[in-house]
Amino acid sequence: MTYSTRIFALLLAALSAAGAFAGSRAKVAEAEFIPALELSPGMSSVHVAAFQLDRRPVTNAQFLKFVKAHPEWRKDRVAALYADTQYLSHWSGATSLGSAARAQQPVTRVSWFAARAYCAAAHGRLPNWSEWELAAAADEHVLDARKDPKWQERVLDWYARPASDPLAQVGSEPADVYGIQDLHDLIWEWVEDFSALMVSGDSRTQGDPDKLAFCGAGALSAKDRENYPMLMRIAFLSSLEASSTARSLGFRCAT
Amino acid sequence: MKRFMLTCLAVWSTSTVIAGAALPGASLYQLPVTLQAADGSTLSLSSLRGQPLLITMFFSHCNSVCPLVTLDLQNLEDQLTAQEKSRVRIVMVSFDSQNDTPAQLQRFARQRNIDTTRWILARANAQDVRLMAAALGIRYRELPDHSFNHSTVISLLDQEGVVRAKTLGVQASDDSFLKSLKSLSAGVTAGVPR
Repeated sequence: MTYSTRIFALLLAALSAAGAFAGSRAKVAEAEFIPALELSPGMSSVHVAAFQLDRRPVTNAQFLKFVKAHPEWRKDRVAALYADTQYLSHWSGATSLGSAARAQQPVTRVSWFAARAYCAAAHGRLPNWSEWELAAAADEHVLDARKDPKWQERVLDWYARPASDPLAQVGSEPADVYGIQDLHDLIWEWVEDFSALMVSGDSRTQGDPDKLAFCGAGALSAKDRENYPMLMRIAFLSSLEASSTARSLGFRCAT
Repeated sequence: MKRFMLTCLAVWSTSTVIAGAALPGASLYQLPVTLQAADGSTLSLSSLRGQPLLITMFFSHCNSVCPLVTLDLQNLEDQLTAQEKSRVRIVMVSFDSQNDTPAQLQRFARQRNIDTTRWILARANAQDVRLMAAALGIRYRELPDHSFNHSTVISLLDQEGVVRAKTLGVQASDDSFLKSLKSLSAGVTAGVPR
């Protein structure tokens, strides 16, 4: 190889490494954040330390690579403890996607245990709810667009779409101000502390918790009752078990 | 001679099969969790395999529900015969990795008249607490004052670590839960491993 070719190759490698890095996770700055749900009585804001979040949800292609490297997560071998019977049921085989699972669609029908294992293998972790909510408050222009009726409308739009529509590929929507995509338009997403989202299904118990089922302050109370999109997500996540899978439930990783 | 050798072979192969038997897919003993007991010793969760287990999660500073859970467990135990009692183990794992040290767990045991030769009070690190709660379907959140908001579930595991019955909330264990507990502690292998 000539000297210039070698330099070129080196440069190319460096650029693609940088591109790969820039392409995978975005920085979210530390913030004092007012969440939609009051995490404990009187605690109206939560401090979120700076973190990094995947720009896009994990795809079928990425998850397939993971399953090949970690065969205990194949759908024909996964332990019943870790995933329900619908785990990756839309894939044509244990290590093949098939026509119902396109490579660039977000991977869905994965459990919390499986999502965690993937993120650990990718040297990361699942984001916790506060981190996810903080990132999701942004739009293309501002860090906190939650009071903007356009943000609300767009975010609510997703709930109006029929679940039978095929999932779009990741990265179809414009990136927000952090450079993160698909937080609102695509899938439900696992968070590390989904089991901390204890919302009573019965609104009559808000402020009057069922003390025998729950120790401590009982069910959490919604602080911002108009933030339907976030309350919907919280309600959904709090209905899941760690081994649950769902058609539109995927995840992304954080560090 | 031949009969002797055949008998030996039969015994050896049976014991090998039993000892090497894989865990059922639903077994909690697949979790890579390490517990630290009240006497300071560490044990892997999977070392509890072999006996039916009543297991729940708590924290020692809990003033509302947790004392009732302890009573619930004691009530369940009281309904067992001495032989059944000797076959069941009771495990309480603390949410509070930081404060529920072995010394604190011993204090808790004394306050609640818990016999730590039969009951295992344990702490685990934060990651393992999360795994246990996830596998047991227990919801919890640490609050700023370091207490815990949490749901209360007593789970009955069989000898292979598969959940056979659950109660949600205190004073909620019903006849079928007790029936399952009795049949497992009678030494009857309940059901086929999944």
